[in-house]
Amino acid sequence: MNKFKIDYSYILSLFISIVVALFIGALLIMVTGHSPGEGYGAMIEGVFGNSRVFGNTVAKSMNLCLTALAMAVAAKAGMFNVGGEGQLYLGGLAATMVGVLMSSASPTIVIPLAIIAGAIVGGAFAWIPAWLRVKFNVSEVITTIMLNSAAIFFCKYLINGPLKSTEKGVLAATENVFVFKLAKLIPASNLTTALFYSAVIALLVWYVMGKTTLGLEMKVTGENPKFSEFVGLKKDKLMIWSMIASGAICGVVGMMEVYGIQGRFTENISNEFYFDGMLLAMIMNYNPFGIIAMSFFFGTLKIGAYAMELSTGISGEISQIIFAVIIFLMAAQGGFKQFFGDAFGKFKAKRYKAEETDSRFSMEELSDDMGLDDLGSKGEE
Amino acid sequence: MKSESNTETQETIVQFKNVSMEFPGVLANDDVSLDIRRGEVFALVGENGAGKSTLMNILYGINKPTSGEVYVKGEKLESFHPGVSISKGIGMVHQHFMLVPSFTVAQNIVLSKEPRKSGFIYDLAKANEITENLVKEYGLKVNPKDILRETSVGIQQRVEILKTLYRGADVLILDEPTAVLTPSETEELFQVIKRVVKEIGMTVIIITHKLYEVMAISDRVGVMRQGKLVGVKETCDMNERILAEMMVGREVLLDKLEKTGETGEVKISIRDVFVADDRGLPAVNGISMEVREGEILGIAAIEGNGQSELIEAVTGLRHIESGEVFIQGKDVTELSAGEIREQGVAHIPEDRISTGVSGHSTIVENIIIGKERRRPFSWKGIHLRKSSIVRYAEDLFKKFDIRGAGISTRVESLSGGNMQKVVVAREFSYDTPVLVIAQPTRGVDIGAMEFIHDKIIEKRNNGAAILLASADLDEVFRLSDRIVTIYEGRITGHFKTGEISKMDIGYYMTGDRRETKDE
Repeated sequence: MNKFKIDYSYILSLFISIVVALFIGALLIMVTGHSPGEGYGAMIEGVFGNSRVFGNTVAKSMNLCLTALAMAVAAKAGMFNVGGEGQLYLGGLAATMVGVLMSSASPTIVIPLAIIAGAIVGGAFAWIPAWLRVKFNVSEVITTIMLNSAAIFFCKYLINGPLKSTEKGVLAATENVFVFKLAKLIPASNLTTALFYSAVIALLVWYVMGKTTLGLEMKVTGENPKFSEFVGLKKDKLMIWSMIASGAICGVVGMMEVYGIQGRFTENISNEFYFDGMLLAMIMNYNPFGIIAMSFFFGTLKIGAYAMELSTGISGEISQIIFAVIIFLMAAQGGFKQFFGDAFGKFKAKRYKAEETDSRFSMEELSDDMGLDDLGSKGEE
Repeated sequence: MKSESNTETQETIVQFKNVSMEFPGVLANDDVSLDIRRGEVFALVGENGAGKSTLMNILYGINKPTSGEVYVKGEKLESFHPGVSISKGIGMVHQHFMLVPSFTVAQNIVLSKEPRKSGFIYDLAKANEITENLVKEYGLKVNPKDILRETSVGIQQRVEILKTLYRGADVLILDEPTAVLTPSETEELFQVIKRVVKEIGMTVIIITHKLYEVMAISDRVGVMRQGKLVGVKETCDMNERILAEMMVGREVLLDKLEKTGETGEVKISIRDVFVADDRGLPAVNGISMEVREGEILGIAAIEGNGQSELIEAVTGLRHIESGEVFIQGKDVTELSAGEIREQGVAHIPEDRISTGVSGHSTIVENIIIGKERRRPFSWKGIHLRKSSIVRYAEDLFKKFDIRGAGISTRVESLSGGNMQKVVVAREFSYDTPVLVIAQPTRGVDIGAMEFIHDKIIEKRNNGAAILLASADLDEVFRLSDRIVTIYEGRITGHFKTGEISKMDIGYYMTGDRRETKDE
């Protein structure tokens, strides 16, 4: 079965893309007047230099991994959830309220309740665009983008209005760090017991998407909704629930941000975390295993870039550029494969003989035949 | 016209020299040498997967052959890219059109070579003018300002042809051009082909499955089988039977279907059903019919007369405006497609690519879907049991003679016939008492067609009630026990197979003849 199989050509493309992107990053570092060795060295130092920074990197990777999985869960069933940021905010808010309202209860009760509250509210907020899509065919891309603003501004309104606190930008009753903070796994770092909860969620997503009937049904629905209905799957239900699951994961990420890292609910509880996750999910083609495996690399890149900026003055935006180049190259995969056509074809042929399908084939055919011959001129001839 | 062009110049315009093409695991073309002469209509026939399209894709520059050479007008093709082939005057119209639906006809025609004002401003008026000139020159009528999306398939095909002509093609490759056309559109297309060949000396290569078309249009015919070119003949020396035998490499006994068993109780009952089409216009206007156990009821109709909508309505894919449908005695009028399946219905849809498969998924996934929660395939309906699924899929893969690189192959990479076998394998393995089958062998080669027909008859003989709709009249006649004709959403005739000839049934398919009928 396809999904049980490793797609070597994809991994090769990814590897090449990363190498090329890092190379372009190196060039940019040179352009800014530094040496790439210095820049990447600072990055590695900033990630592996001591246990604290390493802990921060793992925490960041975890965050990336979960947001990417949230994106993937929805995308597999054909729903493009751009609204994770808003779901994260509202989930975080709900989780905070649990802590505020139950401030005298035991953490062993409050923390699970907070996770559940984050998941429910995040999921419920994702249900709105999903329902609109299924019932009225309203594009979930547009509604989720708009609902992001709605959620974030709602939180800001509470923080600056009815639930104003003495400190600017912080929700009332959370000015002082929460009593319920998750225990740290590495002292002084951001790495907390949230790692275990994240691992459970990640494994669950991987299992459901790859090994269960539900995962198969989601995949088929995402690929061809008409076919899904035709074979008698509950297409609408699958689409709605995949979106709810996506929102729930985002809600839990919000909870972890509050209970794990910040210890209070602020205006800036998320720094566009979900969008980083979306990028990762897209790079990994919504493959849960790939996302889990690669999240650490991209977490390293993110955290390393901050460290690099601090210690060398090279702009941390380099990491964004590297991200973007990788995405660009992966998106252009089909075209590049054609460009390097033969060598690649032979590589593949050797690799699997008669086993593997040639999906490259149809892509080429299409791009070749769109009449693009004159537009996308190639150096081959 | 056949005899005329035979005496014309014998100059070779396209030459394949020992061309071989190997895909991972498949030898698609095996040492093919072929000369195409200027100004002829050359038909290339063969089963699905015989390598016809691959060979033409090489000429058009989509595929680079593993070995061998291709010459166009005496010049060797040094590199393989559509841009190169187009510049040498090769044009190709694919089975699935490569057009932009939201553009006008004229915009589509000039795409990639747009007329411009002062270098870079798109000159729409000029585009319309160019289109009108092309229309005048070649007699292919289109309206330049129509939005492509709103035009019929026949018009879209003309746009494709005009596009290649605009780019200066004098060798035109048509890949199964009639698969999507109505009989009258096919007739018009043939007129156009004859005209461009006769008047401007174009060379036309036509890939097709339909042997009567080969006989009707071509000067010479080449037959491919399993990647090899097994013969090139003057069409006038051939007949359909010999061609069919060459294609499959054995004698085709298209008439040996054995029908046994008796009809039993009514399984499908359609009562005065009205259905609307996608635009909301009435498509089915009060149709009633019944199908019993152990029989096949065939619907004979020219495409677009409501038979597609009727089939979709019966299987729950389309809303029924009024009337009732009963399956095994249960009212299913308001039920969804999934719920109707639970009543014991399997369905082979008309359009396998858009409805019948998930192209991106593998053969296994396409076969198992719908049954994934059933017993040996999952644990408590949750965990997929890979080994039982693979065993089951391997078994069907063999039983239904699906030819592909294995069950992990993506369905989108299969040929039409094999893709259809995947659909048939999935639907028939439900073992339902009721089958609704639309266009079971459209775009499918003779070998696969025979196979699918055998399977359908096997189901019938085992007591299934089968409702069949097909645009292929031969198929309807071959399989059905009874035939109804539908015209403009109404039943115009009802016959037992054998009591009416194909010639006569055409009469009922083309108009309401009730006043002259006494049944």
